[in-house]
Amino acid sequence: MLTARGLAGIITPPHYYRELMAQMDSIGVQSLSIVVLTGMFTGMVLALQSAASLDAFGARPYVGRLVAISMVRELGPVLTALMVTGRVGSGMAAELGSMVVTQQIDALRVLGSDPVRKLVAPRLAAALIMVPILTVLSDAVGMFGGSLISVSTLGLSWEFYWRSVGNAMVINDLVMGFLKPLVFGLILSSVGCYMGLNTTGGTQGVGLSTTRSVVVASVSILSSDFFITKVLLMLFPVV
Amino acid sequence: MRETMRALLGLASRPALPPREPPPGPRDPDEPIISFRDVHLSFDRPILQGVSFDLAPGTTKIVLGGSGSGKTTILRLILGLLKPDSGSIHVDGTEVGRLGEEELRPFRLKIGMVFQEGALFDSLTVGENVGYRLVEDGEMPEEEIEVRVREMLGFVGLEKFYGRMPAELSTGQRRRVAFARALVARPQIMLYDEPTTGLDPITATTITDLIAKVRDLDGVTSILVTHQLRDAFNVARTFMAKEDGEFEPRMIEDLSTLEGTEFMMLREGVVEFRGTPHELQTSEDPYIREFLS
Repeated sequence: MLTARGLAGIITPPHYYRELMAQMDSIGVQSLSIVVLTGMFTGMVLALQSAASLDAFGARPYVGRLVAISMVRELGPVLTALMVTGRVGSGMAAELGSMVVTQQIDALRVLGSDPVRKLVAPRLAAALIMVPILTVLSDAVGMFGGSLISVSTLGLSWEFYWRSVGNAMVINDLVMGFLKPLVFGLILSSVGCYMGLNTTGGTQGVGLSTTRSVVVASVSILSSDFFITKVLLMLFPVV
Repeated sequence: MRETMRALLGLASRPALPPREPPPGPRDPDEPIISFRDVHLSFDRPILQGVSFDLAPGTTKIVLGGSGSGKTTILRLILGLLKPDSGSIHVDGTEVGRLGEEELRPFRLKIGMVFQEGALFDSLTVGENVGYRLVEDGEMPEEEIEVRVREMLGFVGLEKFYGRMPAELSTGQRRRVAFARALVARPQIMLYDEPTTGLDPITATTITDLIAKVRDLDGVTSILVTHQLRDAFNVARTFMAKEDGEFEPRMIEDLSTLEGTEFMMLREGVVEFRGTPHELQTSEDPYIREFLS
């Protein structure tokens, strides 16, 4: 219900652009460093690990392909969503929870605002915009990290690595790569807002809401990842 | 009587605040502006049990009671933040319990609320907090909003704090900003939820003087919820007198002469006492005696 009302609040006026910009800054710009670092090291370790396994079959040249598919289909969207959940989803729950226990939500209602439109809708919109952008960046940086290892440690050339990456990408990967972050962004922001707005029990309750929001959002992201993958593989089978 | 007294004191001649727009339609002056009829509300336990009272326009009701007695719940019901299980609540002729959230939004413009801890928005400046309702309303130009906000901050003695953040203010200053925020849309009714709790006596007197000022100079109907007896009696006793062109708070010593202020005491969701400050002080009820001691 909260998510539906929040999504309705994105479409219909009044719109709170200042709040939207603040949330886009918080979710997007301020999460950039951790997302880039996570993507970079994931790509690098993926190249190292996959090379060790592929060498057994004499398939080291396929490292670029494996890194790219793993990053775009799974690790990029999931790890980005989990990092943003830890940094921003918990922050949403804590901020809204604090507003509940200090009666700021009641004050909003008394002063003529709808807390869902004012607080939830901008957070949902910002997450829907910024999580996919962060995911694309994470994918790109991850593939770049894989290329660094491939060239410096595995003895592959730049051109070979990036040609392998290019050959690996099909429409299915792009659909997964864009659809998953949208769903994950919606999940992490909805859960953060719901937990925050349903905070009870004073400052102790704020702490509980924060913890719950991270746990529930993380589990929801991982479980929904399975179902999205299953459905997309049925719709777009890998040849 | 109160009007006569105000006229004698010269209070009616110059309102301290800009005039409020008259409410639409004719209104019976004897009709209560707030009316509770047999209101019941329970959560995991009974919160209010058969509460009934009326509040005439321009008068003040001071609601006393211990923690958990249901005092704040009465304010939340008036604002439509809670719905009663049974009974009716009429505010300015409207049954609040029947209104949906969308209908409640314009209705709440009639009411100003000072929350217990101020409930200022941490991310907004003092000026933005005070002007929030006017900005949200969207009918007043930005320049006029700033003028009104500065005027309200001047009313509570904090005009220099316009650009500060709430975190930079003391507890007493935060309450005064909350006061200005509640007053900015010229409400007909003011609700105060424990506005002096946690304040030192001098700051608490500043707040009670402000409550009296709004009541006497602007004729606002008020409900004050508190468990601070000293502050409750301060509000009941304080009146604004004009001296050398300035309004100054003065105290009435004889409570039996006071009109327009009624005390109501709640005990576990039931109205234990209702009467004048004088009747409260002279009550023989053991619970009230214990509370007053």
